[in-house]
Amino acid sequence: MKEKILSKHFDLENFYKIDVYLQKKGYEAVKKALNEKTPENILEEVKAANLRGRGGAGFPAGVKWGFVPQQVDKPKYLCVNADEGEPGTFKDRYIMSHDPHLLIEGIIIASYCVGIHTAFIYIRGEYEAVALRLEKAISEAYKNGFLGKNILESGFDLDVYVHRGAGAYICGEETALLESLEGKRGNPRLKPPFPASIGLFQSPTVINNVETLSNIPSIILKGAEWFCKKGLPEDGGTRIFGVSGMVKKPGIYELSIGTSLKDIIFKHAKGMAEGKKLKAVIPGGLSAPILMADEIDIKMDFDSLVDANSMLGSAAIVVIDEDTSILDVLKVVTRFYSHESCGQCAPCRIGSSWINKIVRRLCDGKGKNEDIDNIIRLASNILGNTLCPLGDAAAMPILAIIKKFREEIESYVSN
Amino acid sequence: MINIFIDDKPFKTKEETTVLKAAEEAGIAIPHLCFHSAFPPEGSCRMCLVEIEGLPKLELACSTQVREGMKVSTRSEKVIDARKGVLEFLLAEHPPDCPICDKAGECKLQDYYEEYGLFDNRFRESKEKKQKNIKIGKNLILDQERCILCTRCVRFLRDITKTRELGVFNRGLYSEINTYNDEPVDNNYSGNLAEICPVGAITDSDFRFKTRSWFLKEGESICTLCSRGCNIFIESHKGFARFPVPKRVYRIKSRENHKVNGFWICDLGRYGYPYLDEERLDKICVNNGKGNLTWQECIVSLADEIKKLHSAKKASRIAIILNFWLSNEELFLFKKIFVDDLGVKNIYFVDSPEGENDDFLLTSERCPNKRGAQEIGFDLKPLDSENLMNKTDLLLIFGLPVSDPNNLVEIKALFENVKTKIYFSSHSDELCSLADIVLPTVLIPEKEGSLTNVDGVVQKFLQVLEAPGECRPEWEVFVDLGRELEININYYKQFNTPEVVLKEMRKEISFFENKSE
Repeated sequence: MKEKILSKHFDLENFYKIDVYLQKKGYEAVKKALNEKTPENILEEVKAANLRGRGGAGFPAGVKWGFVPQQVDKPKYLCVNADEGEPGTFKDRYIMSHDPHLLIEGIIIASYCVGIHTAFIYIRGEYEAVALRLEKAISEAYKNGFLGKNILESGFDLDVYVHRGAGAYICGEETALLESLEGKRGNPRLKPPFPASIGLFQSPTVINNVETLSNIPSIILKGAEWFCKKGLPEDGGTRIFGVSGMVKKPGIYELSIGTSLKDIIFKHAKGMAEGKKLKAVIPGGLSAPILMADEIDIKMDFDSLVDANSMLGSAAIVVIDEDTSILDVLKVVTRFYSHESCGQCAPCRIGSSWINKIVRRLCDGKGKNEDIDNIIRLASNILGNTLCPLGDAAAMPILAIIKKFREEIESYVSN
Repeated sequence: MINIFIDDKPFKTKEETTVLKAAEEAGIAIPHLCFHSAFPPEGSCRMCLVEIEGLPKLELACSTQVREGMKVSTRSEKVIDARKGVLEFLLAEHPPDCPICDKAGECKLQDYYEEYGLFDNRFRESKEKKQKNIKIGKNLILDQERCILCTRCVRFLRDITKTRELGVFNRGLYSEINTYNDEPVDNNYSGNLAEICPVGAITDSDFRFKTRSWFLKEGESICTLCSRGCNIFIESHKGFARFPVPKRVYRIKSRENHKVNGFWICDLGRYGYPYLDEERLDKICVNNGKGNLTWQECIVSLADEIKKLHSAKKASRIAIILNFWLSNEELFLFKKIFVDDLGVKNIYFVDSPEGENDDFLLTSERCPNKRGAQEIGFDLKPLDSENLMNKTDLLLIFGLPVSDPNNLVEIKALFENVKTKIYFSSHSDELCSLADIVLPTVLIPEKEGSLTNVDGVVQKFLQVLEAPGECRPEWEVFVDLGRELEININYYKQFNTPEVVLKEMRKEISFFENKSE
């Protein structure tokens, strides 16, 4: 892949400092957007680029921005979802610590397009150092006239605030994020109404992932067509794939959408570590249904993975080797979701912990085969019946692991 | 109005309605736990999931708006499975407390399991242990293990009393309801929390372990402890065949009425019922040595005395002390007899002492029918005993059920300077041994009639408790008296029920003309 969009300057020293950033065409996109384009132009461009959300759901960004009503008597808000809670995901922290001004440019252009004058970056509480770096970058942007009142004499005002979370995966869900930002418990809201009409403080709100917004400057500078060519026609651009697990070179890899999973693992991450054999791969963060070793010959784009009954999600690839017990994987999955359940609705609150309790019993050697059927039944009762997608995110991987690795699990039970 | 289909049957419904409300109006019950009409939909219990044609997932009936042509199924296989699933989750971590839980018999989890569940328990793990007996308010006990986190209590305190004493703590399965910093629930509407809790998590310590809900008989009545006239249920039972109990009333519950009290009642009205059973007077007492008398004998003798004074043009020697607990019908009949027929002018009212109003339901007036007395045309004179001492031959007093010591002192003094004293009372008190004849009367739940509340709403009430012993309602006594006095017999002959009296009131007094309650 020739020219990178997001991680182009990750290796440049001090690139998070604005004086270094400005040396490499920094803030040119903002200048072009504010001086040469109208909000309508920008919306058209982003829609044409087929930029799909990089947080996990994959909703087209341009369409989402288009849902916000033009004229309202309420202020509009932008919330940047920097919660990065999906296990296996670590791409956004790289963008925020190595190229924060790229994100800030994306925020400015998105806000200008939708008519937003206040933006919040909701960053997970654990990213303390990253948050400090972001705050420094923001204050540099203010000093240089890229934020605040009358940016670059365009008449456009924008304020950006960093708000730290307090350790809840559920606060990465957009409506729970809004609740947390408002100072309340991070409980998801019922949808409808959607945040585009009733969001933060009951006002129209756009919520976008860090990586999604960081693509905007390139779309403005190089155009939608160029962006689409970097990926697939219906799915433009690149993804920062995060590879972890038993590979020789775990880390981030910015590659075109549609790159083969096999290539990512064996070419870019240099294959299995310590001579281990591949057993399974979780392709898109913990919520993405697991793939077996013979299923990794697949293109990493939204539609291909849906066809394989999985999902691209946050493009976090976790490689599992043959020496890892799949029961341990199941234990980690169920433990995570029962710990992170917000507790509002009965199926997730009780179901995720019930399944976790059963799995723990299986791990202690006190299980029976009927327990496996029970887990399937319980997970199926959670699926589709919860207030927010966390229930589905818990049920789907559990069902996939049991379906694909049933024999292995049964062998643990009978021993 | 738009057309929808519920379980293949067509219904017409208003446009801005939810599926749950539309189904309710159509007579189709959809189970729900966290939803309550007083608050906006919460959507957390997931019991009300229904199938809507054209939509892939099940939707919540409590928060989905109806649309023209919508086809809802409340009993499809998917819905039944989902309901069983949700119930199973709720029951999995629920303690098997039914044998010791006060909510048994009126518990939503029990009801829904019976109707939609009936599956075997498949939970083989350890349930979470939480606190089971936390006193969170003057009459409230919280059991965190029974709690299903519907958050009705939290939302009540947030939206209705706006005092926010309860909150949800921790996350996931460790979520629990509790007070902040041990500050108790302390407002005049705390009792409503035990009512709205769908399970036995918040229970009323006033009712704790006293009886089972299925022994209680429910009667619709009106609270009489202030002039709001909140609609209530009086729940009572007579005891058991081999174990009768003197106490009848076990509990007061609120009754929905959006013209008067909405969904709620205050704690004063909820816990103020003991006076209905305690210290009741149920026998005629004769203290002037004339032996035992029947009601008939008393009325005849009273009528004789009055006739004597009336024909001697000595109506000014008759004095009456009334109260604002008498019903509209009683006050009307009384006025007809004593003011219109007899021309008595010495009519005074004793009032319960005023209290603080609470900017919601509780009024500062603490009697149920002051407005009624006003509209019927009485001049609401407070007692002026100076005017009556040594000038009164016959004094009739209608006692307050909840008597005020101040009134007692003044009346005792008056007693010493009046010839004949007839005391109508529902309760035993000091005056009973001082009056010449004491006639036992019933309380509002033991008779029929109507009351007028502070806003002018006329509310009918029916009898829900049996009259104790020889107690009789005042309206009956007045009708008998009216006939005995023979001044206007034919007029009083028609009044065989308070309903007839109210009809007559509607003809004569324009205020009551348009009140069709």
